[in-house]
Amino acid sequence: MPEQTAHSAPNRRMLRRILALMAIFGVAAFVLLILRLYRLQITDHEYYEELALGQQLREAPTVIARGGIYDRKGEPLALSASVENVFLSPAEIDQNGEDRALIAHGLAEILDIDEETVLEKSRQTGSWYVTVKRRVEREEADAVRAFKLEHGLHGVHLEPDSRRYYPNSSLACHVIGFVGTDNTGLEGIEAMYDQALSGTSGRTLRLTNAYGAELLLSRYEDFESGEDGCDLMLTLDTTIQYYVEKHLKQAVADYDIQNGAGAIAMDVNTGAILAMASLDGYDLNNFLAVSPEAQAVIDAAATPEEAEELLRQAQARQWRNKALSDTYEPGSTFKIITLSMALDSGAVTMNDSFYCGGSVRVTGRTSPIRCWKDGGHGSQTLTQAVQHSCNAAFVNIGLRVGAETFYKYCDAFGFLKLTGNPDENLTAKTGIDLAGESGSIWWSENTFYSKKNLSQLAAASFGQTFTITPLQLVTAVSACVNGGTLMQPYVVQRIVAPDGSTRFEHEPTAVRRVISEETSAKVRGILEQVVGDPKDGTGRNAAVAGYRIGGKTGTSEKVSLEAQTGQKQYIVSFIGVAPADAPQIAILVFLDTPSNESGIYISGGQMAAPVVGHMMADILPYLGVEPEREDAAAADVAVPDLSGMTPAEAAAELRKAGLDSRRIGEGERVTAQLPRSGVTIAAGTQIILYYDASPSEESEEMPDLSGLSYSEARELLSRRGLYLQSWSPVSDAGRQIVGGQSIPAGTKVEHGSIVSVALLSADESMLGRY
Amino acid sequence: MRTDGARLADFSSAPENNRRRGFDWPFFLLVLLLLTVGVVMVLSASYPRAYYDPGHVTGGRPAYYFVRQLLFAALGLGALWLASRLPMGFYRRYAFPFLGLTVLLLLLVPFVGVRANGARRWLGIGGLTLQPSELAKLAVILSFAVLICRFRGRMRSFRWGVLPFAGILAVLIGLLVLEPHFSASIILIAIAGAMLFLGGLGLGWFIAAFTAAGTGIGVLLAFFPYASSRIVTWRDPFSTASDEGYQIVQSLYTIGSGGLSGLGLGGSRQKFLYLPEEHNDFIFSVVCEELGFLGAALILLLFALLILRGYWIALHCRDRFSCLVCAGITTLLAIQTFLNVAVVTNLLPCTGISLPFFSYGGTALLIQLGEMGIVLSASRDILV
Repeated sequence: MPEQTAHSAPNRRMLRRILALMAIFGVAAFVLLILRLYRLQITDHEYYEELALGQQLREAPTVIARGGIYDRKGEPLALSASVENVFLSPAEIDQNGEDRALIAHGLAEILDIDEETVLEKSRQTGSWYVTVKRRVEREEADAVRAFKLEHGLHGVHLEPDSRRYYPNSSLACHVIGFVGTDNTGLEGIEAMYDQALSGTSGRTLRLTNAYGAELLLSRYEDFESGEDGCDLMLTLDTTIQYYVEKHLKQAVADYDIQNGAGAIAMDVNTGAILAMASLDGYDLNNFLAVSPEAQAVIDAAATPEEAEELLRQAQARQWRNKALSDTYEPGSTFKIITLSMALDSGAVTMNDSFYCGGSVRVTGRTSPIRCWKDGGHGSQTLTQAVQHSCNAAFVNIGLRVGAETFYKYCDAFGFLKLTGNPDENLTAKTGIDLAGESGSIWWSENTFYSKKNLSQLAAASFGQTFTITPLQLVTAVSACVNGGTLMQPYVVQRIVAPDGSTRFEHEPTAVRRVISEETSAKVRGILEQVVGDPKDGTGRNAAVAGYRIGGKTGTSEKVSLEAQTGQKQYIVSFIGVAPADAPQIAILVFLDTPSNESGIYISGGQMAAPVVGHMMADILPYLGVEPEREDAAAADVAVPDLSGMTPAEAAAELRKAGLDSRRIGEGERVTAQLPRSGVTIAAGTQIILYYDASPSEESEEMPDLSGLSYSEARELLSRRGLYLQSWSPVSDAGRQIVGGQSIPAGTKVEHGSIVSVALLSADESMLGRY
Repeated sequence: MRTDGARLADFSSAPENNRRRGFDWPFFLLVLLLLTVGVVMVLSASYPRAYYDPGHVTGGRPAYYFVRQLLFAALGLGALWLASRLPMGFYRRYAFPFLGLTVLLLLLVPFVGVRANGARRWLGIGGLTLQPSELAKLAVILSFAVLICRFRGRMRSFRWGVLPFAGILAVLIGLLVLEPHFSASIILIAIAGAMLFLGGLGLGWFIAAFTAAGTGIGVLLAFFPYASSRIVTWRDPFSTASDEGYQIVQSLYTIGSGGLSGLGLGGSRQKFLYLPEEHNDFIFSVVCEELGFLGAALILLLFALLILRGYWIALHCRDRFSCLVCAGITTLLAIQTFLNVAVVTNLLPCTGISLPFFSYGGTALLIQLGEMGIVLSASRDILV
């Protein structure tokens, strides 16, 4: 019976074998497993945990606000705005069966992007994050949110980000610089002070699922709190920067400048940069875009590669800060330095006289060095030699100083650094807190000190055969006029932490005393004569009525370029300081390669000096420098208030003021006048008096005044109901011509508008490369 | 306790004098404990996948898997109760019909089976799926036990001790290979070997079988690149972490990041779609991650206790058939548990073996609990 066999009890062997299985499966197997778990979970725990966290944690930098950049008055130059990034989660779109076409259409409409592209992105169903548009402004982001809500979309997301925004677009672009897409500073202050501005970026560590989305229920986030960036307060003054750029742009247009231009305005007593401009500029909010002219060239390129290369070059060109990165031979503006060292070292005195016969022989040179003026300047005092910008005189002054003293002063002025190695070329930088500063290049001591060949020293005396940066020149000239102390130039005045505390404050830093107080005073006096003397001053075109301005012209030939290509190209420049008796500000303007076709004689005195004059005319009143009224506006008068007067009364009043009039209308009494009372205009101008009539609402086109005399310009304008004033002193109205106008020709203006002009002295004695 | 009625009494194998006792409570409580923890772990491990629903199964309902598992756990407890009420004679009598049914179902699988991952292993019955291979394991235990009892005393001969068993096994394995279902074949062979071992088959046969298996594996590895690539993945899963090794690497991350005390119940991060099969074959990895070494070891200890108690019941069975069935079912449970944990910890090469009471899978759970019921039924007859 099978039943009975089954009922029989298990035999001993069976029980023994069960005990064996017990030992194997009930004990040994589990011991093995637990040992294995111990190995994985205890011994190797950290190893696996790190690997696991590596895939589970997504690190995202927290959005911290990049610090703002402000000018010295607190005007914002660069700000960070909160924006949002719009992204799709195609996996969620897929999961929730959302309408891709609807999403693509809606987003394309709101964000002004290509619908097809969005559709394409929405199909990447393996992904939980596909960027649709970065840095979307509040308004668009709200529209996306509304769209998302309206259709109950889970696959459309927004996340906060921040965006750099430059309220003044291109103003001071080279100083401010810009940031890349990751908000890292790439140029200018943005690059130089990137660390302070960007603060400490915090991190969010976020646990995610395998698709990168948030976990359910168990939310884990770890913040490493960051700190917002610091605000920077610059030494720049938006208003001064605006004036500097405005007049520089005008000059580039007027003189058809081929190779850009630059200007620096410095507080001579502190070394603070008040303005720094380089043309052509660019819009910081769209720093990749090049000028329309450059774009036209790029569009005309034969191949895409060529176009790309041209674009790259054009961008590099427009981003280059010429005031800092270009080096040039300063030419005659450097005579201020030679003069200062000569006076300070005692090599010359105010009573010395210098003869110029048109040329001067120098040991080591076969041909004599020619003065810019054929026939020479004859016998001159030291002041006159500077006024005339006489090369012959300055060669002699330089030779009297001597090569070694010359280099010692250049070292002290920060133009070069003596290394002790007499064979190497010398160089130096100012060490300003801006990126991209170039170094100067000077002859080695051996070459310069040669007793057999003095030509290097002779040429250096009037600013040739070495190159420096415009910034070095402004810094050194500031030292010449501020009492003799070389100041460290700087741009960042203050770094303010997010909590409002000042983290860094720049105290004006004296690098060293270079010349004595007395020498500086003498230099100031002489420089004022260069601008202020309407007969001998080669800088007279920089004069501003009512102000005491000192300065020096410069016209330097690009000698090495001529040697290489045979082309004659010039950099014309002017450095002005004001007020001349107690200088506050120095402005250097340099114009690289004016066109021969501009109709204006290529020289610093004709081209650059008026530009500095224009700038000073705007900036000095802004700085609160009081004009000295007695010599002001010899030819300009204030317009009296004539309203309600009878013709006779008005005529009498105008005669008293030195003005003329014509009448419009048939009434008894004056009901309106052009121009309005209180403005200052050229004497002799016809005032338009309205008797029961009113000025025409139509606009007038501003005529081109350049080349006209002051009275011709006045008549031309008066016929159109427009008025004239001059910021230049009217010293010799017959020989002064209009050299620049505040309202460009062709502009539509209202009747009664007043245009300011600069008057140029352009007589024979003024025409020369000095 | 004789409330079974006269009909069940027909199958009773108990000798007249012995009153049937209550079943073995320690064994039942261990089952209940493991089942409870297992169902809770299914909830914890499965809700992210159920929510994200990358496979378009759950419709995004987070409790989808849990609710189904809970339902089957309840049904399974019913099956356990029923199985424990049935006398051992019932199982002996229906062992071969059950084997026949299993073979029939296995025959159906290649034709009407549900295809998944390149194999047909499931039969679909009105929304439920059944793996006949699960039934086959029980069928082998029951039918072998019957035969061993019948061939008592002749088990050492080839004709009685090997041939009939090998025949049954060959049919079942042959059908499993058709699916194909490698891991079930392994378990089937292992449990068959265990049954024969208990039945008194000479140890020489086992030595021969292990030698043959070793040689076979060697040949397989030498000539079949697919098999050897599995070995490469096993030895160094990180070398293929992006494809073949992905699953095991993720499992090691999961287990390893648990540490001593784990991330806490529900705290797994790896279950968020990093670890594949996290509520299924790899649920123990999530247990390790959430409950740590201490929790995992405790659960393994519960398993060990359950297994030891199963063998203990077998040792105390008064009849040979009950003894063989209890030891067989216990060994099956032990083999499944060991292989599963060994695989997820990369102690053995990766293959799909579920963890009893833990892995998601309705019918498998139902059958496992039924098997526990059979052991409990046998436990009623023992004298302590």
